Amino acid sequence: MSTRRAARSGVLRSQSPLPPFSRRSLLAGAGVVLAAALPGCGRSSPVSQSASGSAGPLRIGAIPDQDPEVLQRLYGTVADSMSAALDLDVEYRPVTDYGAAVSLFRTGDLDLVWFGGLTGVQARLQTPGAEPVAQRDIDERFTSVFVVNAATGLTPSDDLAPLAPLRFTYGSETSTSGRLMPAYFLREAGVDPQGFPGGPGFSGSHDATLQLVASGSYQAGVLNKQVWTSRSEEGSVDPSVVLHTETPPYHDYHWLLGPRAAERLGVDDLGGRLIDYFTGLSAGDPADAEVLELFGAGSFIPTEVANYDQIEEIGRDLGLVS
Amino acid sequence: MTTVLDRPVRPVVARLRRDRRRWAWALGAAAVLLWSLAGAGLFTGDVVNPGGTAQFGRFAAAALSPALDAGFLGLLASSALVTVAYAVLGTALALALGAVGAVLVSRTTWGRRRLGWLLSRGVLAVPRGLHEAVWGLLLVNVLGLDPWVGILAIGIPYGAVTAKVFADLVDEVPRGAHSALLAAGAGRASATLYGLLPPAAGGLLSYSAYRLECAVRSAVVLGMVGAGGLGYQLSLSFASLRWEQVWSCVYALSLLCLAADVAGRAVRRRLAAPPPGPGRDPVLTGAVVVPLLLVAWSWWYLAVSPASLVSARTAEQLAHVLGAAWPPATDGALLGSLGALAVDTVQMSVIAIAVAALGAVLLAGAAARPPGRLSPARRVGGAVVRTVLLLLRAVPPPVWALVLLFVLLPGVLPGALALGVYTLGVLGRLTAEAVEELDPRPRAALAALGARPVGAWLYGVLPGAAGPVLAYALYRWEVAIRDTVLVGLLGAGGLGALLASEIAAFDWAAVTTVLAAIVVLTLLVDLVSDRARSVMR
Repeated sequence: MSTRRAARSGVLRSQSPLPPFSRRSLLAGAGVVLAAALPGCGRSSPVSQSASGSAGPLRIGAIPDQDPEVLQRLYGTVADSMSAALDLDVEYRPVTDYGAAVSLFRTGDLDLVWFGGLTGVQARLQTPGAEPVAQRDIDERFTSVFVVNAATGLTPSDDLAPLAPLRFTYGSETSTSGRLMPAYFLREAGVDPQGFPGGPGFSGSHDATLQLVASGSYQAGVLNKQVWTSRSEEGSVDPSVVLHTETPPYHDYHWLLGPRAAERLGVDDLGGRLIDYFTGLSAGDPADAEVLELFGAGSFIPTEVANYDQIEEIGRDLGLVS
Repeated sequence: MTTVLDRPVRPVVARLRRDRRRWAWALGAAAVLLWSLAGAGLFTGDVVNPGGTAQFGRFAAAALSPALDAGFLGLLASSALVTVAYAVLGTALALALGAVGAVLVSRTTWGRRRLGWLLSRGVLAVPRGLHEAVWGLLLVNVLGLDPWVGILAIGIPYGAVTAKVFADLVDEVPRGAHSALLAAGAGRASATLYGLLPPAAGGLLSYSAYRLECAVRSAVVLGMVGAGGLGYQLSLSFASLRWEQVWSCVYALSLLCLAADVAGRAVRRRLAAPPPGPGRDPVLTGAVVVPLLLVAWSWWYLAVSPASLVSARTAEQLAHVLGAAWPPATDGALLGSLGALAVDTVQMSVIAIAVAALGAVLLAGAAARPPGRLSPARRVGGAVVRTVLLLLRAVPPPVWALVLLFVLLPGVLPGALALGVYTLGVLGRLTAEAVEELDPRPRAALAALGARPVGAWLYGVLPGAAGPVLAYALYRWEVAIRDTVLVGLLGAGGLGALLASEIAAFDWAAVTTVLAAIVVLTLLVDLVSDRARSVMR
C-alpha cells in the first residue's frame, strides 16, 4: 500500500489529532445544518424584528430611569392596555441605555417612547417630525433633591454653595433630573457644575446615587424627587443620607411619537388617539389604575414642545444637545 | 538507517546567566507601577472609605441569597438562551474571520516581506482596539434593534484577535512537514493545508473553546447596551441595585461559562491523549457536530436575516452616522484633555494588571489540577479557588466598579481595582492551565528531599510559572486598556469616561477622535508588551 493511500484510508491518523471525516458525512452534516437553519427565515426573533417589511405592531419603549426593573419587566401591562384601547397591536421593546433609546427612536425601531426631558429633546432634534404626546401630572412640576451625607454636618437649606467643596455625584449623564437640571441650578447658585474636588461622578442611576452618598464615598449627590419619596416611604433610605435642597420645578418625562408610525400603521391621527388614550386613563378603572401606578402617576395630561425649550437651552449650554 | 541529530533534543542544563535587558525591563515595569500608584493617590492621601462597608456587605451578603422565585428563574432561562445564541454566532463569525485573517497576517504568508506583514497587523489593530460594548453602541446606531448588532459586535473584534492568535499558532508549528511538502513539489496552499494545519489543529481548537467562553461574557456586556439576554436582565437589576437578582444573573452566567470551559477541557484532553484503538472518537466527533448544530439553532432562534445588513435603511443610517462622524473633531480643548485622560487610562490598566498578575501567581498553585491522586482537602480547596475565579470574571466590571466605590474614595483606584479583580478571574484560569502543563519533577524532587511545601513551591514551581504568567499578563494588559472603557464613568475618569459622555451627547465627530485615541493607545501598549514578551523568550 502506498503512503498516499495509507494516508487517505486513515491508517496514518496519528498525523492529525482531529478525527477523519469522509466527504459523505461532511456533506450530510452540512445539509442537516442548513435544513435546521432554514425555518429561521419565517421566524420572529426573541430580541427584535426587522423594522422593514409589513406594518407590524406599534413599537413602544422607555428609557430606563426610575425603577427600571419594575417598569421594564411589567411593561406588558402597558402594552396590553394600550392595545385594547387603540385596537392596535402594541409591542414593548426593552432598552437599557439612554443613548440607545434615542438612536432606536431615530432609526424607527421604536415608534412611541417614554423619554426623560433631555433625552426627549435629543430624540426630537434627531428625528424631524417627532411630536410630544402626553406627560404625567407630576411631570409638569418635577423636581430634584440634593442629598448629603450626615457626616458633612450640613442642614437643609436653600443655599447650594456649601456643596461646592464636597465630593459630588450626579446620576446618569443624560438624566434630566439627575444631571441636567441640577447642573443648571448649581450654576445659578454660583457653583461650577463640572467643578467639585476630583470632578463630579456619574453613578448611573438614582438608586446608586443614594447608596454612594450613604457610603460616604461621595459626600453629596442629586436624584429625582419621585425616587427619593418612594424610597423614603419604603424606608430603604440609609439614615446617613439627609435631604439638603429641593430644586424649583421643571418639565420632565413625556411620551414622544415618531413621524413614521401613523403612516406605517395606516392610522389617521395616531397622535390624537394616543393623547385621548393617555388622558382618558382614570384611577377609578382597575386596569387603568394598574398602568397609572406603574408610572407613579395620578393621571396623564397633554404636553407641547414649548415645555421643553428651557431644557434644550440648558442642554446646549452643557454641550449635551448639538 | 540511523539518523544522527545535529543538536541535542533537550538542553540538559539550562545556562545560568543574568540578562541585562530583562533587568532593564523589570526595573522599568516597577517604575511604571509606582508611577501609576502615585497617580492613583496611594501615597498622598486617603483612598479607603470605611463608611461604605455596610453597602459593600449588602452586595456580598446577597451572594448567599440569590433571587430564586420561579418567575425570575424562568426569565433567566429564556435570557440565557439569547446569550448563548449570541455567543455561538459571534464566535462562529470570529472563527471564520479569524481563519481568513490568519492567512493574511501570518509570517508564513508574507515570508521575508516584513513591511507587508507589519501593515497587515496594523490594520487588525483597529477592530481589535475597540471594546465589544463600543462596537455594540456604534452598531445600534446603524442597524437598530437587530440581532446582527450582537453578532457583529462580538464577531468583529474577536475575529481580529483570533486572526492574530491563529497566525501565531500556525507560525510556531514545527516546519518539518511543511518544508518536506514544499521540497517534494507541493503548492504553497496544499503544503500549508497538509503540513501546517494538522499539527496546529489542537491549539486552534483549544483557543476556539476559550473564545466561546469569552464570548458568553461579552454577550452579557452587550446585553447592557441593549442587545438583550442575561446582560439585559443583569443591568436592569443592577440599575435599581437589587443585588439578589444581580447574583442570580451572575450565577446563570457562571454556569454557561463553566459549561463552555468543561467542554473545551474535555476536547483538549482527548487531543492530548487520544484513546487507543481504531474507529472514530465520539468526543471529538461531538466537538465538531455539536457546535455546527448550535450555530444552526442560534441562527434559527435569533431569526437572523442577512437581508437587514444590506437594507436601504441600514445604508441610510450608516450614511447619517458616518456623515456626522467625519471629519473628526480637532478642537484644542478636546485634544488637550485626551493626553491627560490617556495617562489616567494607562495608570488604571497598569494597576489592574499588577493586581491581577500578583493574585494569579498566588492562586495558580491552588487552582491548578495536577495529574495524579490528590488529598480530599486539596481537591476541595482547588474547587473553591476555581469557583471564586469563575465568579470574579462572571461579575461584569461596571458592577465591580460600583461596589468597590462604596469602600474606596473616587478616583483612578476603584476603576483600576474593578478591572484588576475581573482580570484576576481570567488570568487566574489561564495561569492555572499553564501551571498544569509545567514539569512536575522539580517540585517532586524538592519535596522528596524534605523541602517544606512553601519552599518546594518557591523553588520548584514559581521559576517555571513566572514566564507564562508574565506573558499572559502582558497580553491581558492590552485587553485591560480596552476594558477601561467599561469602568470609566464612575469618577474613575480616563478615555472611557470621555467616550461615554461624547456618546451621550451624540457628538459623533468627538467620538471619532476619542476612538482614534483609544486605538492608538491600544496599539502602543501592544507594541510595548510585544517587546517585553520577546525579551522574556
